[in-house]
Amino acid sequence: MSSAPDVSLMMPARPEGVAVVRQALAGMADALGVDAAVLADMKMALSEACTNVVVHAYEGDDGTLEVEMSADDTRLRIRVRDHGRGIQPQVSVARDVPALGLGLPLIAALTDSFEIQGNAGSGTEVRMTFDYLRASDPAESNPVTGTIGDDGRWDSGATRGTPAG
Amino acid sequence: MDANPILLDDAAGDVVVVVVEGEHDIYTAPTLRERLDEALGRGGGIVVDLTRATFVDSSVLGALLDARRRALEAERGFVVCLGEAVEPGVQRILDITGLVPVLPVVSGRAEAIDAARLDPSGAGA
Repeated sequence: MSSAPDVSLMMPARPEGVAVVRQALAGMADALGVDAAVLADMKMALSEACTNVVVHAYEGDDGTLEVEMSADDTRLRIRVRDHGRGIQPQVSVARDVPALGLGLPLIAALTDSFEIQGNAGSGTEVRMTFDYLRASDPAESNPVTGTIGDDGRWDSGATRGTPAG
Repeated sequence: MDANPILLDDAAGDVVVVVVEGEHDIYTAPTLRERLDEALGRGGGIVVDLTRATFVDSSVLGALLDARRRALEAERGFVVCLGEAVEPGVQRILDITGLVPVLPVVSGRAEAIDAARLDPSGAGA
């Protein structure tokens, strides 16, 4: 099943584009015969990476969201790229687009490998790989830590168990 | 027809059910926030029914957590409910974020309505 073509998408970095990217992924995963649980993780991680571009990359200006998917016999590689201001996850966004701050921890937990490249002003590229057959659950190796903080953002250092607020 | 509707159901009287179906992300999260605002404005408890949701991301979790916080501040019940067979695109994010006890999440709409009615703190449902 290694004959599925690579996919390359380029579109305006707008909220409505994220579902389009997920649909392209679903079509590719269907051709590859990917397990439903792995596909769910692919869709979640890809959505979070694209959402980061839409919310953070261009500070409200127009810009592009680029996604490349490449499949081989054992894994799917996905790159999500923007040409924005470079990833700065600690910077808060406008209150009309509230950000939980959970995107990158989720991506780390849902992928078999994950890296970010980028510098301020030169854009950001997120690279993710997903094994079709997993030896273990990546969420066990890279668990999402923390819970929701009193300020409504994710607090990675907080202890779970007692609901905050 | 909207393939990803978010509707209000107030048939339970003192508890408003926000019914979320299909896939939801950064694009539909503002609509979800509007519906949750409307539900909060009606008084009484709030249930968010994700039984027929197939995918929710962190944008949706953010909207739910924000509504939960406001419901607690107003001393109103807030409960999320799932069906018997939960889509991996919904279950997975709840599992790995550990938010099931926080939100809180229960199985079945009737049980959720009872919990939202009886437990204004939202905790321990």
